[in-house]
Amino acid sequence: MLVVTCPVCNASGDETDFHYGGQAHVRRPATTDPVNITDEDQRDYLFIRHNPKGLHFERWRCDRGCGKWFHAARDTVTMEFKATYGITELPPAELIKEAKGPWADYFKKRLKEKA
Amino acid sequence: MLEPQFESALAHRAAPDTLSISMREISERGMIDLRGLATDKKFMSAVKSVLGFDLPKAPRASTSWGDLKALWLSPDQWLILCTRSKTNSLLAELNAALAKIHSLAVDVSDMRAIIRLEGESVRETLMKGSSLDLISDDYKAGTVRRMRFAEIAALLHVVEENVIDIYVFRSYAEYTWAFLTKAARKGAEVKLFKR
Amino acid sequence: MSTKPYRLAEGGSRIDRSRKVTFSFDGKDISGFAGDTLASAVLASGQKLFGRSFKYHRPRGLVGLGSEEMNALIGIGVGSRHEPNLRATQIEIFNGLSAESQNRWPSLKYDVGAINSKFSRFLPAGFYYKTFMWPKSFWKHVYEPFIRKAAGLGKAPEGRDPDTYEHMHVHADVIIVGGGIAGLTAAEAAASTGTKVLLCDENPVLGGIADLTAGMIDGECVADHAATVAARLAALPNVHILTRTTVVGHFHHNYLMAFERVGDHDPAILASGAPKHRLWKIRADKVVVATGALERPIAFANNDRPNIMLASAVRGLIGRYGVTPGSKGVVFTNNDDAYLTAFALKKAGVTVRVVDSRARPDGALVKRAIAEGIDVNLGSVISAVEGTSGVTAVKIAAYRRGQGRVITEKRVDCDFIAMSGGWNPALHLWCHNGGKIEFDDSLQSFRPKSHTDNIVAVGAANGTMSVEATLVEAQALGKKAKKFIVQEPERGASESLWFAPATGKYNEGNKHFIDFQNDVTAADLELAQREGYESVEHTKRYTTFGMATDQGKTSNLNGLGVISEATGKTIPEIGVTTFRPPYTPYSFGAIAGSLTNDLFLPVRRTPIFQWHSDHGAVFEPVGQWRRAYTYPQASESKHEAINREILCVRNKVGLLDASTLGKIEIKGPDAAEFLDRIYTNTFSTLKVGKCRYGLMMNELGFLSDDGVTARLADDHFIMHTTSGGADRIGAWLEEWLQTEWTNYKVFVTPVTEQWAQFAVAGPRARDVLSKLGPDFDISNEAFPHMSFKQGHFGGYPVRVYRISFSGEMSFEVATPANFGQGLWNAIMEAGDEFGLSAYGTEALHVLRAEKGYIVVGDESDGTVTPVDVGMEGMVSKKKPDFIGKRSLEQSFLKGPNRKQLVGLLTEDPTDVLPDGAYAVAAVKNKPPMEMIGQVTSTYMSPTLGRSIAMALIQNGRSRMGEVISFPLEGGKVMKATITDTVFYDKEGGRIHA
Repeated sequence: MLVVTCPVCNASGDETDFHYGGQAHVRRPATTDPVNITDEDQRDYLFIRHNPKGLHFERWRCDRGCGKWFHAARDTVTMEFKATYGITELPPAELIKEAKGPWADYFKKRLKEKA
Repeated sequence: MLEPQFESALAHRAAPDTLSISMREISERGMIDLRGLATDKKFMSAVKSVLGFDLPKAPRASTSWGDLKALWLSPDQWLILCTRSKTNSLLAELNAALAKIHSLAVDVSDMRAIIRLEGESVRETLMKGSSLDLISDDYKAGTVRRMRFAEIAALLHVVEENVIDIYVFRSYAEYTWAFLTKAARKGAEVKLFKR
Repeated sequence: MSTKPYRLAEGGSRIDRSRKVTFSFDGKDISGFAGDTLASAVLASGQKLFGRSFKYHRPRGLVGLGSEEMNALIGIGVGSRHEPNLRATQIEIFNGLSAESQNRWPSLKYDVGAINSKFSRFLPAGFYYKTFMWPKSFWKHVYEPFIRKAAGLGKAPEGRDPDTYEHMHVHADVIIVGGGIAGLTAAEAAASTGTKVLLCDENPVLGGIADLTAGMIDGECVADHAATVAARLAALPNVHILTRTTVVGHFHHNYLMAFERVGDHDPAILASGAPKHRLWKIRADKVVVATGALERPIAFANNDRPNIMLASAVRGLIGRYGVTPGSKGVVFTNNDDAYLTAFALKKAGVTVRVVDSRARPDGALVKRAIAEGIDVNLGSVISAVEGTSGVTAVKIAAYRRGQGRVITEKRVDCDFIAMSGGWNPALHLWCHNGGKIEFDDSLQSFRPKSHTDNIVAVGAANGTMSVEATLVEAQALGKKAKKFIVQEPERGASESLWFAPATGKYNEGNKHFIDFQNDVTAADLELAQREGYESVEHTKRYTTFGMATDQGKTSNLNGLGVISEATGKTIPEIGVTTFRPPYTPYSFGAIAGSLTNDLFLPVRRTPIFQWHSDHGAVFEPVGQWRRAYTYPQASESKHEAINREILCVRNKVGLLDASTLGKIEIKGPDAAEFLDRIYTNTFSTLKVGKCRYGLMMNELGFLSDDGVTARLADDHFIMHTTSGGADRIGAWLEEWLQTEWTNYKVFVTPVTEQWAQFAVAGPRARDVLSKLGPDFDISNEAFPHMSFKQGHFGGYPVRVYRISFSGEMSFEVATPANFGQGLWNAIMEAGDEFGLSAYGTEALHVLRAEKGYIVVGDESDGTVTPVDVGMEGMVSKKKPDFIGKRSLEQSFLKGPNRKQLVGLLTEDPTDVLPDGAYAVAAVKNKPPMEMIGQVTSTYMSPTLGRSIAMALIQNGRSRMGEVISFPLEGGKVMKATITDTVFYDKEGGRIHA
């Protein structure tokens, strides 16, 4: 039973007070360009998930608390939460550096867009 | 003309005398669910103009003035408490003040049942159903916290050290009452850390 | 037999000799003293036999002193209060206690199953797999019933448990697990920094085995020192002590479960209202494992005979209860610690001899034993045990380390044996959540190595066996504290002894018990190695070694030692099996806590629940709600009642409690655009004051919910969801607003429970409402179908939606929940003259099926699209994006042979197709048959006087008029014609009346 801390309201509680929302930073293609979505884009969005041993970026909701969604970076081996951050935000810089797999590409793209 | 008949969720329940705490339903309270952005100055000041005080911005805080009380639920949500008979007029005032401001105020006076718990072992009794550390300093008088209680969602408001109001959705009132009656049984008290 | 032959004249720190306690064991009255355990009292009465072993039904006695006991499993209490499989060593006796032994028939002394022991050669490791393979039919009729009867220890209680149980949460800065000298010292150290300390111990008295430990701390004996510390701790406000509380598991983020036996030891506590057991759910910043060590048995031939105990158990029986297992004992050891038992026995006047496998032990205790004139056989082992239901003599053989067989031996009379193969740190809790351990050569055991949680082990649990070092380690948890002056005997090295050679054929090891509880012998483990079970985890499963409630407490290391000798690998090379929670078993009652009977599941009640109940409603669960299914009157059957209710709606007027429907207020400048994204159809075009039926898909393109949404104002809507979908859809809307369309200015507030909501449906519906004194025009012109009004019925504030799920003229009336019962009564009264009657959910379902309205969850199953159910027209072609739109274009969902929703009329109108019945392409004599679809809703329609059904059938819509077959169980085949789904009032005139 994990202890989760919501970055929005700073409430800590058992994971049963929260709702796990799967992998974070998955882009929904239809929101930005509903017309030109390939079957592969849609497949990746719906079904392809990364399941690493170690650093994992994920979504949670402060379900029994303030009701807000947020992001978390968690180590799937030690279960340690490395960081929690806003649902529209990117992880702290040091975790972006550590990120692997699809997240590494995603963060790179997002940082470029921002810049 | 039809005279409306009022019947609260626990109208037919009285606490048995076998409990270590006292327990009763509070049914005469009006409640307004208010949504708006704490970061929206126009919203905050419009609400203040009606309530007479600032909405609390700190998580889990509450503010009160006379028979009015505002409980923080979320950065964009509050529960306004008032005397039930004044709910309509208060809601109308809020809606008038907020007419051009992005917000949503709804009368939810009947949506939840409120059970008032009083006694020295109130906190420990609740800890039989809640994983929160209710005996810690995080739960001083005035604190509001939504939580999982037994198997359901609940809202807790610490009124005083030994007085706690627990809010549950109306349909769960009987379940909550039954759980508390069992948990607060005399003989089953737990005193944590010699409180 | 004389009375209390084994109770010593004096001594016993735990018992009160002035208070006699009488209880029954296997129907026989036995007396002991207050403070006795069942084990000590029964042993004091002269009875050595406590149970029969699991597989061979060998007679077994006590082995341990506390929770490590694996043989003496006892059933306590009678009838519905019976609780099986409790350890005799942990049961505290009280007057009237009723206990019985287990796994024997007809009695403990004469057990038919003991014949298994005679056939033990045919019941080797893995015998299930080998023996019961052939012939096939024997498994069901011969082998399985036999195994079922033979296996299992205690029996389950009968009837409903009358006692109560509960859960309790607690948070602490530090939890100390174990109240021995290490735990007490650690608790005091941690508490001195002002932190909140929770101290849990499974025993009734703190101190662990301080009373069995040699040495002095600041001039006090270890036990007195422990008692002093315990008393100081008890007075501290930041320390909470739980005794009789076993921490059974350690989980992620320092979450622990502890099992408190609140009322087991004293019926008066239960009678006062206390729960029998309490399950503690503990969260701690730091965990201190001070669980001590467990003494190992020694593997020698027939080491499982009654009255062969651990040396610490014998020492404890004397010291705590003034009980000795016999008058002439042999202490068999490979280490110094067991000499303390020899001293205790000698002091109690019991004749004692020590057999030590070590050739030249040089510790202080050995020297003292020799100096005191105790017979000590160095370089020796016990090579044989005589006696079956007890011990009558042993053979002592000369031994040198590594020697594999007996060369010379001599016989010595004795009536009990105290054995000690060394001590293992109790690592279970350390390992539950992935703690790493390492082998320590000097301990000949594993000890904690590392952990990812904030957890430390102190004292014997950490492999620290000296008192002085334990105190230093435990004190490190606090501020710098004064150093204790400790005197303790200098210890000589122990020497591993994994297998004591035995006389003759016994040297094969098939009576050298390793896991007593599971009857696993050294020979079984060797056999598993020969048969290729190289991984220790495979050996565990093949032989059952280390399984079940014992979880390898006493057996683990001895087993590894045997495997090591059989394979030539070192113990670290072999590795250990996984220790799993719980450390000791705990009751189902504790697991359930208070959530039993009426609290088993939360039940949601509408404001009209009591009325339904008072008026004979049969309820059906809808999610956690209980909805009135139908209201049988007087002698009516359910079926008759449903038919009556349906006809009442069709011909007169009915009243339905629809309060459970989800209701969500949605407001903001972008509310309409948001709804266009959520629904498949368009809501931005909806006019204020109007209602529209909407469909929702999930992102996969499958139907997820439906309902009517009304526009209250330009920027303000109220959405209805299905009863089951209310919470889910509320959260769904929030999720999209917060995570995807974050620029939308929309607020969403679920208000389901604010409103009691009723459908008034039927040709006389308007007549009923007009009698309620509406302050608005309810005529068809002013208030047409699919529109919305807000106002009053007399003094009742109402929101009225003219929407219909029955096909009749229908008004859904909502009023604040606390007015619900009042308005319901008023409607019932007003409707009386029009023949109004309440109708339940089953009538509702038949009414909607007659009209071909779908129910999400009946007509859809999570793989059904709006197109499949014939609602293609409701899927917008214009909107660029809405949830599920892109998926609906995936080839799979556009492909041929999708199942499509159709109506069915059976050839025989009295045939009602079973729900879920499969349609096949062609009926054959037996399966397999090609399945082409299934029935989704099926009813006998009283309106039409015949059965109707809906089904999802491959290409159904292009098969209108085709007759398809449904082969049913029992061979009957029902045939039905495919039709459209609207069976009644196809023109839809009634709804607009």
